[in-house]
Amino acid sequence: MMFSHWLSPAIQQKYLLQKVTEPTARRYLATPLPDKNTGVADLKFLALDFETTGLNARSAAILSMGYTHLAAGRIVLRDSAHHLIKLDIELPQAGVTIHQITDDGMHQGIPLAQALACLLTQMRGRVLLVHYAGIERNFLQAAMKQVYGYTLPFVWVDTLRLEQRMLARAQRPVAENQLRLANLRAQYRLPRYGAHNALEDALATAELFLAQCSRLQAQNAALSLRDIMG
Amino acid sequence: MEIEKLAIRDFLAGCDPLQQLAATSLDQLTLALVIQYYRRGSAMMQTGTRNHEVMLIRSGAIEVTTAAGELYGRYAAGDWIGYRSVINDQPVSLDVVAYEDTLVYLVPGRLFRQLMQQDARFNRYFSNRKPERLRGAIRDIKNSDYSLLSIYLSELAHPALTVSRDTGIRATALKMTELDQSTALVTDAQGLCGIVTDLDFRRRVIARGIDMEAPVEQIMSAAPHTLPADAPASKALLLMARYNFRHLPVVSKDKDGNAAFGVVSAADLLRSQSHHAVYLVGDISHAEDSAALKRLSQHLPQALLNMVRSSLPAYDIGHALSSLGQAITRRLIELAEQQLGPPPVPYAFVVGGALARREQTAHSDQDNALILADSYDATLHAVYFANLARFVCDGLDACGYVYCPGDIMALNEKWRQPLQVWRRYFEHWIEQPEPQALLYASIFFDLRCLYGDETLLTTLRRDILQKTQQASLFQAFMAANALAFRPPLGIFKGFVLEKNGDNEKVLDMKKRGVLPVIELARLYTLAQGIDELNTMERLQALADAPGGISDENTADLKDAFEFISTTRLEHQALQIEAGVAPDNLVSPEQLSALERRHLKDAFAVVSEAQNRMTRRYQANRFR
Repeated sequence: MMFSHWLSPAIQQKYLLQKVTEPTARRYLATPLPDKNTGVADLKFLALDFETTGLNARSAAILSMGYTHLAAGRIVLRDSAHHLIKLDIELPQAGVTIHQITDDGMHQGIPLAQALACLLTQMRGRVLLVHYAGIERNFLQAAMKQVYGYTLPFVWVDTLRLEQRMLARAQRPVAENQLRLANLRAQYRLPRYGAHNALEDALATAELFLAQCSRLQAQNAALSLRDIMG
Repeated sequence: MEIEKLAIRDFLAGCDPLQQLAATSLDQLTLALVIQYYRRGSAMMQTGTRNHEVMLIRSGAIEVTTAAGELYGRYAAGDWIGYRSVINDQPVSLDVVAYEDTLVYLVPGRLFRQLMQQDARFNRYFSNRKPERLRGAIRDIKNSDYSLLSIYLSELAHPALTVSRDTGIRATALKMTELDQSTALVTDAQGLCGIVTDLDFRRRVIARGIDMEAPVEQIMSAAPHTLPADAPASKALLLMARYNFRHLPVVSKDKDGNAAFGVVSAADLLRSQSHHAVYLVGDISHAEDSAALKRLSQHLPQALLNMVRSSLPAYDIGHALSSLGQAITRRLIELAEQQLGPPPVPYAFVVGGALARREQTAHSDQDNALILADSYDATLHAVYFANLARFVCDGLDACGYVYCPGDIMALNEKWRQPLQVWRRYFEHWIEQPEPQALLYASIFFDLRCLYGDETLLTTLRRDILQKTQQASLFQAFMAANALAFRPPLGIFKGFVLEKNGDNEKVLDMKKRGVLPVIELARLYTLAQGIDELNTMERLQALADAPGGISDENTADLKDAFEFISTTRLEHQALQIEAGVAPDNLVSPEQLSALERRHLKDAFAVVSEAQNRMTRRYQANRFR
């Protein structure tokens, strides 16, 4: 979908509603996405993390997804979720040790379409919050395409990009690995999280975002989505 | 949903009082949490507002102040904030501000109250009255059977006298007498087969008229219970109580792998509770010279360690250690007199500070002085007393009671004076108090005679106590002085901590811990004319005296003092175990969250007592 790069999400949503038939996707498309000028305090976020079998969305698959809600400066654990995805392939050995997801665990999982439907329900009207959008954006788009036939629009904030821009504005050099989630959290004096798990990483990203926001809002009380998205 | 894998849940599970919470409750709690982040300096709660959530600090630090702007306390990871307003369903009564960038977990008030009802431990932890909580904590410490659990039989058992089973009864008795043993273990080719004790000779030989030449196996208790040397002493106590015997064979392996036998008695077990101290005092009083005293004094740290391990109250440990300090001082004076000859005029060797109050710990310096009879003539007698002081003070220093940094020692001629000069000193201090003079004078208001003519001190003290009761200016100065030592309100993160040699932030448990209570108790007793020295005894006397301190306040203060003292002694015991010279500097990190919490409660009690003292004695006049 070439135009997804330059058409506004609202126009894309309107266009896709004519094409997409799947009810969950239609409900998602029918809910307006947040406007860029909305203040951060009024936005609702969904912090999201995927564990995948590889880095390339065309050849690799999503193993698990974790997400949690964030609104008005508060992360609410009640609405968090973690889904293991059932795949029909053998897990490559290397990834297993990182994600601690074994073949057995994966076979207990749910089909991608089901997990995506759950995620899409939670995404309605919300801004996605990810650390390094390269993975989540591409894999989410690939999954949508696979399940619904179309890539549905979404807006996101990338905490890695956000930090990069803050550093650039302050004209500070970026050290190697400085922007990794764990390292950034340490810089913001957030507690260390050990386990590599999609929900844990989503929570870790959400907490990092709270810390970043508190810093940005100290400089700009009227911080809006426009200032932080993408 | 994989709650059990979340680091948040792990964190909760490690927090007081959640450690023993049921897994399902812990899951429920985890899922109910809200996470919030506060930038340094931002307001978290404000006086007068409604609050429906209890905060658990995950990282960072926060500061709580009263509406009037006074610092109430500082809190860090693992501390709970805002529970009072939730429990009592009342508006917040304090201001809470992020002191550092802080991440908190919020527990919904409804769930919090539900846990208060369901979980007794949770309920107790958040119980409203601090002193009650503190009292519970002290009870827990004292009731723990830590003592005998942490002492092993190898430390208590003595090598046993062993005889073969065909040895005659008379021959066995002779051997036991010769080696001064009350028990003998009986062996055969297979190893240990029995035990005989003094009691068996009385009960089995004499009472039953058995032939004295018969083999000992006829009177032994066969196949006795045994324990390995690495068993905890508590096990021996249980066996003895269960089977009603008083001596237990202890089996270990010698270096060749053969069985070696020892014996532990019920008396050994009981003695281990106050190990050393009593015996050391006996040995000290017979020491032949300063060198022998120095050798004996090296057992002091171990004596302290044993007593702390036995969970003796700090009050008892202070008394026991002071008995040792007293014995060493007395013996040194005796040795000095042996060397220098009898004193030319009567004198009293008096001590001040912790030894006078019977509150010595591992880290004590010496404070002492000589009160000479008024017949003293400097031209004739000065050299004798200078030599005596030199002998004793040097000896004390060698024994680990280092020279007083403030030079308050008999070594200093100023503190080696006849009674009439001492009278003038005290008159001056009481009637024309100056803050500087009072700083060291406060040592002299705790004086005890260890040797010589005690009446020299008792007459002096009687006069002092009469004067201090009337002297309101003096009282106000003493109160102002006492305020130089304030308990820390938050015990970590920031200005309340000192730095030690390694530049770590530490808490001075002497200056900020025990001294505030000691100073306060001294002032009250001097003002009331009560002739007690020990802080606990002073507090008790104050509770009993009309117009002293209320019973309730005294009880709280005694608990606080005991808890602070115990923490200090435990710190020193750890250092002794680690082979480090003991000091008073506790790093907050070495305390558990629970200990920190109790310590904070204790400090709060002391702080309130100081405020009452300030009002009563008008300490503010000089501040």
